Amino acid sequence: MRATTSLPPLLLLSLLAVAPAGATEGPRVTSDTFGALAARALGPAVMSGRITALDAVPGDPLTLFVGSASGGVWRSTDGGVTFAPVFDEHPQSIGALRVDPSDPKTVWVGTGESCVRNSVSIGDGVYRSTDGGDSWTHLGLAGTERIAALAIDPKQRDTVYVCALGPLWNASEERGVYRTRDGGKSWEKVLHLDADTGCSDLAIDPQEPRILYAGMWTHRRSPDFFRSGGKGSGLYRSADGGTTWERVSTGLPAGELGRIAVAVAPSRPSVVYAVVEAKKTALYRSDDTGRTWSEGSSGFNVQARPFYFAHLFVDPRDHDTVYKPGLTLSVSTDGGRSMSGGIGFGASYHSDVHALWIDPRDPKTIWMGTDGGLYVSRDRAFHWAFLPGLPISQFYHVSFDMAVPYNVYGGLQDNSSWTGPSQSAGGVENRDWENIGTGDGFWAYADPTDSDFAYSMYQGGEVLRVHRPTGEVKEIKPFAASGEEELRFNWNAPLVLSPNDPGTLYLGAQVLFRSRDRGDSWQRISPDLTTDDPARQRQRESGGLTIDNSTAENNTTIYTVAESPRDRDVLWVGTDDGNVQVSRDGGGSWTNVAAGIPGWRAGTWVSRIEASPHDAATAFVTLDDHRRGDMRPHLARTADFGATWVSLVTPEIEGYCWVVRQDPVNPDLLFLGTELGLYVSIDGGGAWARFKGNLPRVAVHDLAIHPREHDLVIATHGRGIYILDDLTPLRALTAETLARDAALLPSRPGRQTVLASVGSWFSGDAEFVGRNLPEAAPIVYWLKKRHLFGDLKVEVLDTEGRVISTIPGSKRVGLNRVEWPMRMDPPKFPPSTQLTFAFTGPRLPEGEYAIRLVRGKEVLESTVALVADPRNPHSTADRKAKSEAELALYHRLADLTHLVESALALRDGARTRAAALPAGDRLGRRLRGLAEQAESLRTALVATSEAGWISGEERLKEKLGNLYGAINRFEGRPTTSQLARMETLLAELTGAEQRFRGLAEGDLAAANAELVRRRLEPLALPTREEREPGGTGPVAAGSLSPRDAKRLAARFPALAAPLFGLRTSL
Amino acid sequence: MKNRPLARLAGLALVAVLACPLLAGAAAAESVDEILARNYETKGGLAKLQAVRSARMTGKMMMGQGLEAPFVLVWARPDKVRTEFTFQGMTGIQAYDGAVGWQVMPFLGKTEPETMGEEELKSVREMGEDALEGPLVGWREKGHTVELTGEEEVEGTPAWRLRVTKKNGDVSTVWLDKESALEFKAEGKRTVRGQEMEFETAIGDYKEVGGLLLAHSIESRPKGAPQGQVILLETIELDPEVPEATFSMPPPKPAAAAPAAGG
Repeated sequence: MRATTSLPPLLLLSLLAVAPAGATEGPRVTSDTFGALAARALGPAVMSGRITALDAVPGDPLTLFVGSASGGVWRSTDGGVTFAPVFDEHPQSIGALRVDPSDPKTVWVGTGESCVRNSVSIGDGVYRSTDGGDSWTHLGLAGTERIAALAIDPKQRDTVYVCALGPLWNASEERGVYRTRDGGKSWEKVLHLDADTGCSDLAIDPQEPRILYAGMWTHRRSPDFFRSGGKGSGLYRSADGGTTWERVSTGLPAGELGRIAVAVAPSRPSVVYAVVEAKKTALYRSDDTGRTWSEGSSGFNVQARPFYFAHLFVDPRDHDTVYKPGLTLSVSTDGGRSMSGGIGFGASYHSDVHALWIDPRDPKTIWMGTDGGLYVSRDRAFHWAFLPGLPISQFYHVSFDMAVPYNVYGGLQDNSSWTGPSQSAGGVENRDWENIGTGDGFWAYADPTDSDFAYSMYQGGEVLRVHRPTGEVKEIKPFAASGEEELRFNWNAPLVLSPNDPGTLYLGAQVLFRSRDRGDSWQRISPDLTTDDPARQRQRESGGLTIDNSTAENNTTIYTVAESPRDRDVLWVGTDDGNVQVSRDGGGSWTNVAAGIPGWRAGTWVSRIEASPHDAATAFVTLDDHRRGDMRPHLARTADFGATWVSLVTPEIEGYCWVVRQDPVNPDLLFLGTELGLYVSIDGGGAWARFKGNLPRVAVHDLAIHPREHDLVIATHGRGIYILDDLTPLRALTAETLARDAALLPSRPGRQTVLASVGSWFSGDAEFVGRNLPEAAPIVYWLKKRHLFGDLKVEVLDTEGRVISTIPGSKRVGLNRVEWPMRMDPPKFPPSTQLTFAFTGPRLPEGEYAIRLVRGKEVLESTVALVADPRNPHSTADRKAKSEAELALYHRLADLTHLVESALALRDGARTRAAALPAGDRLGRRLRGLAEQAESLRTALVATSEAGWISGEERLKEKLGNLYGAINRFEGRPTTSQLARMETLLAELTGAEQRFRGLAEGDLAAANAELVRRRLEPLALPTREEREPGGTGPVAAGSLSPRDAKRLAARFPALAAPLFGLRTSL
Repeated sequence: MKNRPLARLAGLALVAVLACPLLAGAAAAESVDEILARNYETKGGLAKLQAVRSARMTGKMMMGQGLEAPFVLVWARPDKVRTEFTFQGMTGIQAYDGAVGWQVMPFLGKTEPETMGEEELKSVREMGEDALEGPLVGWREKGHTVELTGEEEVEGTPAWRLRVTKKNGDVSTVWLDKESALEFKAEGKRTVRGQEMEFETAIGDYKEVGGLLLAHSIESRPKGAPQGQVILLETIELDPEVPEATFSMPPPKPAAAAPAAGG
């Protein structure tokens, strides 16, 4: 097998020779270019994903670390209620995880999963955190690719053993058992057998830590085959801290062995258990620290898929109780002789168990990691609670529909196919997702001709058409006709919708099928487009010692299909064995154009072909040869139907490639998904930079661009779906922009979304909730340098050029994005003792608004557009009626505020002046009378009861405010009752204003005349201009209905709770 | 005269630019003290910063979705503080007088001042200590520890990374712009009831006030949250007269018989 790092000199030369035009002088795109642009995590966590490692802090029931197959490390510090990812900038595939028992802030992580299924990701060595997971240091062993176990010497914490399985897809010397005695500064390889045999499990004796056990495993995966077992496999024992090892065999099966899992009983370390894959796989037990062994159970879960279920756990208090994860979790309570919980159909938890943590202080508490997330049992594995806060879902593909808001569709590793909304009231919750498939899920779509139907599929080309209202499924895959060769479908066979003809589907076997009738009938439109190499059709024998033919090794199949959006007759097919076939006549004839692709070699897996949305002759192709040990990216473009190709690979790209997309609007904007993240080019592939905005270094398996919303939908294999909202500014970003100090960029129109007032309820903190897009118009600008001095703000102007909104600016290098709420300021309210549930101003009219970016003394100008929600069901006349009523109330609330403030000023001014006069002074009496009149007017206008939260008092302000709120929250015509009430209330307000004016012109004027006569300062009421803008006076008690209080608190936590970490410095 | 800190800063920036090629190959030699000396210098000088006895800052607090509240912060050395923000005509108050933390949060109907719980108290105390000058000024005297833990580009800006361990054990990371030595970002943890709460802060809009260069924009959010609250300061008055009572918790009101309001 070829080494992953050496590049043949000729190939290197050719890469340099074809370096595309973007490699010119001038500013280049970097990860910082994208600045504050951030992808939005949609989750979901309803199905979660594969968990491979668990550890916790004994004695601290709150701290738990979760290592996932391809979604990184997550930490809970609240006993599993909430989880946060703590490993986002490192490879997301976790093989092993250990908290140092002598220092719970020290955590070791071995990257690279050891449950080596076909879709497994890669790691790059060992990491350690000394601050409880906040930050991580890479400690080497980068070439090991995957680490199955870690053991920390309980007596010398700087001595740590690493069980390195090593590279899965190629021979390598970087495998075996490694030891450090200086906390990871240096490593010795202390057990190494050969380039094909790695360490599959490692256990340390907790009392005599010089005794160690290592399972050594000979194995190899290739695109079409998996082999477990070989001459190197065996159980090894060291009694001198790993310096020397001997193979133990007494009592173990003779003949070739496969994968071995081993565990020491913590409560009696002379007892050691091992699961040994052999012709007859069984559980073995030793009672003499591993010198001799006797056979125990060979029950279902002991024998099931040894390559995948490779761990064993002994109860920390009872040396006779052993847990064996498998299809389900089995347990032996008789020292391994028998197992219960074997076949477990009907288990409430997801099948395929890998990781376990048994609380040593309370062994009834067990945390369990499966292919479908994390569970906890408090009753010794009888009943399980699912933890709904880990969005480590492993998507293979993603698509969208055209609903408003749109939904996404996709299939996941061992977790079926699902659809869920791109946003939802209160955020995208687990319950918003709908299961539309079964098995392992791959491609999934809405039927563009009938939204009641969706397509999904499961492994090996099983295509389903699902009737969503009933859940009824029609199985629509094609079969070989009589006399035809049996069909070969990839594990992840391509199902593709025609971009030109709704209702037309393509499905790839070794031949390409097309259906014009939603899958009811299929036509072959190609011959066998693969190499049909019989040497790569060995799936029936795949598995080695334990046959494992799950379709995961099906090969010589079509893997990617594309119809040109510009020409329905131009079809592209890529196969998993190295062919890139193009047809320019709708499948009539085909040409293999693979050989000219830079980086191609015979047999290379073609992971994606993207037919350009701009030009029928142009296509992009990604090659992925990681299954033969080549981890490099391969990406190329043709502009002549494949006759010639140019490489678009630059040194910035890391990881083998899954998917490339060309933006349908700007042909120079390209997106690339690799095993190690999302990459963006703004110059047609000349330069690339990783997009890091809230997107971890996770495998990106698929990308889709929504044509109406201009969103990039990102399918990650390990962290669920992300959405990068609105590509408009990226489309406008050019080298010329990057050269400027600051620039305003266009963004899509702000949509005045009809707001859901109902929906979410109190679900606690445990569930992951996908974040919604804020209801705001995005405004995006570029800064070459961080803004530090002077103002940075965005102003929005009305048609008269008045500033109607000022938004504080984000100040980062690169693209910054601020949100404009598209409304007038919230309504004004006078001081009272009640909050009113009316927090938003009236909507601003649709249309174009001028915006200004004020950066110190510099001002840049542009525009932003507001458009209506296409779902808004109300007629123009009804919307106008709403707007008129809303505005009338809005302005009159401001009038009311002024009136109450004036009354307060009069009351307080009169009282102050009266107090300064001698007792019995007639003017004093008159002033006190004036104050009383002002106060009596005020108490009729606003709630003044200090009875507390639920006083229920309603005065004119509360009535007007509540009416305004109700009309403000509804987009159509107010009810007749509301309009009539408005009349009544506004008339009351007018009456009050008249009374106040009477007071001002009568008694106040008279009192002022007397004050002036006595050479005292007259009582001047503040004008409206003097009073606004600014604060509105002193505190009074409040009263709000419990329901409104809850809604308020949920919406604006700052009001209900004290200020969060308010600070004006650090 | 008035623009001295900014002028000084421009000079520094120029020096930094000119020196860059010379320094590029050399390992960073700055110590915490050297970096902070530049930080103080840029801000107008340590003596001048420490001479300020009190401050009044007014502006607005922006809570997203167009919600804004007028905001006032009054501070007096060493650690007294009072903040007010007004919403729908009601004013919330949080204050600390050096001994007692108290608040009035009238929005859900309680107008009586109440003493703060641990969580709020910790926050307001910190505000009292740091409102004007932050933990970096006089950190030794304050009992904090400051270490230089690295140099890196953070959000595209070359920065020094300082680890600040406060006297109370709370740890935060502060990034200083390498050109100006001003802080622009912080992340940290605050331990409350034995549990750690993480936050992040962005600091900017530095403007000259009375010969000092002070931040006028502070955005804080729980770590990882999409949106936090922004405080935009419009004016900062240095050394205003502040009556002592500003910070003290008012005595409870006499039990006035509030008229029942029905319902």
